[in-house]
Amino acid sequence: MRMNGRNVFVIGTGITKFGEFYDRDSTSLAVEALNAAINDAKIDRSSIKSAYFGSMVSNSSPHSSFSSKCLRECNISIPFTRVEAGNASGAAAFHQAYTSLASGIHDCVAVIGSEKLSDFVKNGTIEKILGSTIDYQWEYEIGATLTSLYALITKAHMREFQTTMEQLASVPVKNHKNGKENPHAQFRREIPLDRFLSAKRISDPIGRFDLATHCDGSSALILVSEDYLNRKGEIKNKIPILSSEHSSDVLALHHRESLTQIKSTVTAAKKAFTKVGIEPTDIAVAEVHDAFPISEILAIEDLGFFEKGEGGNATEAGLTQLNSKISVNPSGGLKARGDPFGATGIAQIVEIVEQLRGRADKRQVSEIEYGLTHNIMGTGALAYVNIFGKEEMKQ
Amino acid sequence: MEPPKIWREKRQRYLALGISCTKCGKRSFPLSEYCPYCGTNDVEEYRLAETGKILYFTNVSMTSDEMAFNAPYCLGIIELDDDIKVTGQIVDCDYNDIRNGMEVKMVFRILARDGNDGLIKYGFKFTSK
Repeated sequence: MRMNGRNVFVIGTGITKFGEFYDRDSTSLAVEALNAAINDAKIDRSSIKSAYFGSMVSNSSPHSSFSSKCLRECNISIPFTRVEAGNASGAAAFHQAYTSLASGIHDCVAVIGSEKLSDFVKNGTIEKILGSTIDYQWEYEIGATLTSLYALITKAHMREFQTTMEQLASVPVKNHKNGKENPHAQFRREIPLDRFLSAKRISDPIGRFDLATHCDGSSALILVSEDYLNRKGEIKNKIPILSSEHSSDVLALHHRESLTQIKSTVTAAKKAFTKVGIEPTDIAVAEVHDAFPISEILAIEDLGFFEKGEGGNATEAGLTQLNSKISVNPSGGLKARGDPFGATGIAQIVEIVEQLRGRADKRQVSEIEYGLTHNIMGTGALAYVNIFGKEEMKQ
Repeated sequence: MEPPKIWREKRQRYLALGISCTKCGKRSFPLSEYCPYCGTNDVEEYRLAETGKILYFTNVSMTSDEMAFNAPYCLGIIELDDDIKVTGQIVDCDYNDIRNGMEVKMVFRILARDGNDGLIKYGFKFTSK
């Protein structure tokens, strides 16, 4: 019996532009992404035997179930599963789809992430929605918001490692520079460092330009097993999924021993690297969860790209820029691409697959062997880490 | 805000209750039926220490509708004298006077309001000792 299950491949990607689309609903966005993925995979849609939909709020009232509507519009009648894992719902849906293929249950599945957040225009609504990604009873109802908890984490990192405001701001500066070259990004312009530093603080030290925006968008993937490929013959542009791991940590920050490490990221990354048999230094390109500047700094430390406490320094020194030591968030990340929760985890995978296929145009990272994605829920109660490569694993 | 939820939680919110495990002796917050350390359900209600010190804090100006009446407010993680940590608001002091390690005591306050006609939710906050 093979411990790791069958090899699984991404053969199609689809993504909409991210942003505010007042004239479109979540179904419309999901249909566009899924059709694009099917066309990219060049398969007959009847080959798809199951679908996994990742969404935090847009698959329930008041948006109704976009999953059913999307499949109807795409003329596919198959069983589907709705997956919710807060703002990591996309990565969670991908992980479920991967598991169904690796285990041998299915041979060809679709993964779709979609979110429609621009409908929530009333003040405080998004804060309440995000309240479910933290301890609702003993953090949110006490007065905490996701942003305020990240403010505490930022202060802890600044105190422990002397991380500066300039180092923190260099994260979104870099991501906006990358996002400029991404046609699907919500913000395709550079923002200078002092703009971040001088912005009004919404929860000190986090300023109003530091957050990833909660927007609309959809992304989709077609995944197949090695048996499917053996039956159908050679499919071009297939990218193997070398590992898909997730891990958890306690929900509330006041229950954690340290605020300066996301334990779920560390354990998921360790499992992922061990399975592939590579080191963090082998990763040339990574899409990490940069919902706040400190999120990316913690991610690059906890994933093992830099020593603990060195994330701020490394970013300011340009070591995470495109084609430097490691290219982090070449798509622009959550910050410049925008963050439609359920679509984000899958959009990260779309970017890494396009990078490995060599189709990322001006954002293309040269000489890639391995790419990684990292998506977390809330302050890290759940973390998903996936590693992709050019060559499949030998069983 | 949901009346059954507020009614169900009022005792533990108003009294700031955690548990003390009669088997392993550890205390934890919030109130639970089983000890999160050893798994036994042989636990007793325990009232949290009423004084402690601030570990981290921030000034929240963008918040939910129900809390907006109060914004901006200071929110922090407090380490109580019995070593239990809780999240709480720090009130009745100028934000610029709040410091890491500052000693605080627990007070009983309004947490949230559901508009002018709706329910009021109460719970603990902290103020300078």
